[in-house]
Amino acid sequence: MAALGTSPSTLTDAADVIALLVLLSEFAMLRSSLSRSQVRLYGFQSLCVSVLAGFVAATQHIGELYGLMGLSFVLKVIVVPMVILRLVREVRVDVTASHRLGVATMVLLAIVLSVFGVFVVGRLPVHSHSLPILALGLAAAVILVAFLLVIVRNDVVSQAIGFFSLENGVSVASLVLAAGLPLIVEVAFLFDLLVAVVVFGLLMRVHQGRSRTLSTRALDRLRG
Amino acid sequence: MTGVELDPVEIQVLQDLTILVFAPFVSGAIAHLGARLQGRRGPRVLQPYYDIAKLFRKETLVPEEASWVFLAGPVVAFACYLTVPLLIPVLTQYPLPLGYMGDILGGGFILSLAGFAVALAALESGDPYAQLGSSRAMTFGALIQPSILFVTFTVALVTATDLPYFEAAAVRSSLGQAIAPAHLLAAVAFFLVVLSDTGRIPVETHASTLEFGMIDEARTFEHSGPALALLKWGAAMKQLILYVILINVFAAPWGEAGSRQVGAVLLAIPAFIGKALGVGVIFAVIDNSFSKLRLFKITEFMAVAFLLAVLAVLVLFLGAR
Repeated sequence: MAALGTSPSTLTDAADVIALLVLLSEFAMLRSSLSRSQVRLYGFQSLCVSVLAGFVAATQHIGELYGLMGLSFVLKVIVVPMVILRLVREVRVDVTASHRLGVATMVLLAIVLSVFGVFVVGRLPVHSHSLPILALGLAAAVILVAFLLVIVRNDVVSQAIGFFSLENGVSVASLVLAAGLPLIVEVAFLFDLLVAVVVFGLLMRVHQGRSRTLSTRALDRLRG
Repeated sequence: MTGVELDPVEIQVLQDLTILVFAPFVSGAIAHLGARLQGRRGPRVLQPYYDIAKLFRKETLVPEEASWVFLAGPVVAFACYLTVPLLIPVLTQYPLPLGYMGDILGGGFILSLAGFAVALAALESGDPYAQLGSSRAMTFGALIQPSILFVTFTVALVTATDLPYFEAAAVRSSLGQAIAPAHLLAAVAFFLVVLSDTGRIPVETHASTLEFGMIDEARTFEHSGPALALLKWGAAMKQLILYVILINVFAAPWGEAGSRQVGAVLLAIPAFIGKALGVGVIFAVIDNSFSKLRLFKITEFMAVAFLLAVLAVLVLFLGAR
């Protein structure tokens, strides 16, 4: 009756559900074959992270976090997906499935990784008063699955999305560990993200211009 | 109010009868609704009853090579489907005496035994399509097992037993328990399991006549007469049994009888059928809004169910701290 006995309050449950949605959308990104749906899933994931930030702001009464929530909503839910979608549309290369492995294998691998992440973090003697510690484990799982996404998919869009969602995982972790982190640090994170968007946008364009494809397979070929 | 109280055994028999009598009705209602969603008039809601009655009046034809297993299979399967309702909360919130006979895994074993009997009978027939169907049914049945196991683990971690009555009681105990992340994940995972086990669209086209996509349906090709009637009736009962577990254990364990009063127990029957029809509507809508997965992509669907079930267990492990 362990779980029933220490039945956590409905609030932490809600936070857990949102953190779970972040992880599930990471899984969905891993398996979805269309770049467009990947970008939309990223938008959804960012929305969940923003909601989580708002949740912490409301429960812990940290005013700054409302600012962070608004900023991350505008940037990650609206601007970044729009920019990437426009890039993908301009490229006009039909990006087909770029899995190196079968989808079921990938999902199983990702399950193993997230179990690893959740358990390793669960062992840490960390206590947080802003969010349940489970959210930290889930954030670790998000980061590991994002790595997997970057490794097993070989098109530029997936790699960009993998990198961006990595940042989402880090955001969730920072919300658990240091919700009161000064706004300036969090904004620096977001600024990093913007730089990454520019870099990846450039990469996408240059790569497409040179090899007429978004697949990174072309990079394996040596040119004399 | 002191009305007549029913004996627990009588209630248990009533549970069985509810499944037995209303299973074709629920199937018919879903088929009717599905047809309506496609803009067809569709069969009558009571059509499955007419089909079964017609088949019982027909003669039984047995392939020349087939042995007694061919005829025993449907009967064994039907007996299994009659056993499972004794173990699960169909009409009551409180456990009935025979409810302790088996847990969720026990119920799963009996359902698997039924599938095994039907598959054996299909093998006996010597028909390539029937054999193909039973081979597929066994393969995908095995692939969905890990998800069922992890859902059971979730139930075990929440209630410290794996009796369906206790999980239902835990869900009923508080709203927090009902929206706890582990419970939501397990419920959705079980929903996907039901989708796959009742042969609904992402996995199999229900009542299709196309042999290539068939899994469960193909197994009954060689059966005829009363044996086929038993198989059809059994399939409807299996569907309703899975709905019972989905509704009365995970999704909405409200509305069952809390006492042994005749009125309360009898009132639980329409309440349950109503809930089953509600779930049926969801299944019919899913049936009409998604496309069937290619046979070799079904594993992806099962990987999703497995993912959700594993996450449920994970959440319980860390969330308990």
